[in-house]
Amino acid sequence: MPMVLLECDKDIPEREKHIYLKVDGEDTRDFLPVSNAQTIPGTLSERGCAFCGAKLVIGGVLKDTIQMIHGPIGCAYDTWHTKRYPTDNGHFNMKYVWSTDMKESHIVFGGEKRLEKSINEAFDEMPEIKRMFVYTTCPTALIGDDIKAVAKKIMQERPDVDIFTVECPGFAGVSQSKGHHVLNIGWINEKVGTLEPTITSEFTMNFIGDFNIQGDTQLLNQYWDKLGIQVIAHFTGNGTYDDLRCMHRAQLNVVNCARSSGYIANELKKQYGIPRLDIDSWGFSYMEEAIRKICAFFGIEDRGEKLIAEENAKWKGKLDWYKERLKGSKMAIWTGGPRLWHWTKSVEDDLGVQVVAMSSKFGHQEDFEKVIARGQAGTYYIDDGNELEFFEIIDRVRPDVIFTGPRVGELVKKLHIPYVNGHGYHNGPYMGFEGFVNLARDMYNAVHNPLLKLAATDIRVKEVVAYREAAE
Amino acid sequence: MTSPAHNTKADQLFSYVQERCLWQFFSRTWDRKENIEGIVNAAGELLTGKQPPRHTPMEKLFYADAVIMVADFRQRFPWIESENPSHIHEILGVLKEKLVDISITNSKNHELSHSLY
Repeated sequence: MPMVLLECDKDIPEREKHIYLKVDGEDTRDFLPVSNAQTIPGTLSERGCAFCGAKLVIGGVLKDTIQMIHGPIGCAYDTWHTKRYPTDNGHFNMKYVWSTDMKESHIVFGGEKRLEKSINEAFDEMPEIKRMFVYTTCPTALIGDDIKAVAKKIMQERPDVDIFTVECPGFAGVSQSKGHHVLNIGWINEKVGTLEPTITSEFTMNFIGDFNIQGDTQLLNQYWDKLGIQVIAHFTGNGTYDDLRCMHRAQLNVVNCARSSGYIANELKKQYGIPRLDIDSWGFSYMEEAIRKICAFFGIEDRGEKLIAEENAKWKGKLDWYKERLKGSKMAIWTGGPRLWHWTKSVEDDLGVQVVAMSSKFGHQEDFEKVIARGQAGTYYIDDGNELEFFEIIDRVRPDVIFTGPRVGELVKKLHIPYVNGHGYHNGPYMGFEGFVNLARDMYNAVHNPLLKLAATDIRVKEVVAYREAAE
Repeated sequence: MTSPAHNTKADQLFSYVQERCLWQFFSRTWDRKENIEGIVNAAGELLTGKQPPRHTPMEKLFYADAVIMVADFRQRFPWIESENPSHIHEILGVLKEKLVDISITNSKNHELSHSLY
């Protein structure tokens, strides 16, 4: 019974293996959704491509690096500006986008010369920038353009520049997850250990798997500064290319997003003996726990307790105000993967919110092990969900708010259900103490906003039109 | 042979760990095994009034995870304070077995035994 075949999936019964309804007394030994598997023909997946996972999620975050996309112009535009990761140097990464703008003739006759010209042109136009990522895309991978050879030639001709190549075309994997993997492994093998950092503290760490969404990294960095911990590299929120080359010198790897960045943490442990500490950064209880663990590792527990007390004094009252008003609300989380398990208990414990359905675009079975262990019975756990399934699940669980991306968000707004941007946030940051108050505020504004209910009323007729109309 | 009372107590600790601890869900079998062994052993030391070693980076890591978990155990399960050391080790032994069973032996996660990360 617990694996669920939805009515809309009756013609693609394979989907049953991807949707789980947790029942009391069961655990992941009994049922675990199939995930990180090829999308089933007949279902319209909402996944991104492998190239997108490398560029949009990880590489494009860096604040001092040209992101050269070797492919048609759309590959550049569609992975630019759809995430909001500011930087402290004027948002260089969000102001510019670079592409070799491949056309038919370049596909026919080869694109390496065009790539070489584009790289030189980019460095010439931005002489203060000396670092670059170059990405293959589907067409340039298919025609066999050797981007590594081009990068090597340019690095010989321009000794002051450094270039990292990411050979991960869109078709390389079943979802964007493959792009995370390829970039992680490529970076550790080719770039980590090629530069030495300046050590300024006796306590050093890398902060891995946080992408400064609306300032998350910058907010958390205030904590690490107060604790006297030097972050050698942020992978990759508000980070720099050269800092990431120095990751081998940290004493500890602190991992937030284990899905996008667990690979490099594992390799840093294997190759350099640096331990990996996984934490949750969203929610008061989790943030306190994370600070305590990091401080226990370094033996600076007193500093941690002081920081926790200061932050609670500043923010706990505000959190409780929202908790009082959000208690009992029902929430759905339809995001990439890790936010399911990061958020389900934190909104339950810190805000009294019940998570009734969760869908992951690119999570692996490891992510489902985590979320099923943490989530409630009676909740749906979905891998690679599609729109029709979302409609049906909404009918079953009736959420008050859905945390998802803008695209699905616009869809559910037509059903007059409020959404909050679960990827790029509405008004973040959402991490840390202050951040979780921001999340609570956005959730409160969504749940209690009267506009969506008013919009469901057709004032031309006396009867209220059911909100379900849009789905029919 | 573990007593039913100890089994029940180990179940309570197991539920806490499942819900709260990310270290049991690391990427591969060997990582999970190392974490379960290291952290539960460090917790045993702490719960029996000893100080686990903190010399190597991994020992420091196990201590950091264990010390938070033990503080939560003490807060949530007051019975733990009145257990003698041999009972503590017995209960934690059962906890370890349960964690190995769910996260390794009977895990349905197909990626656990890949040789590469």
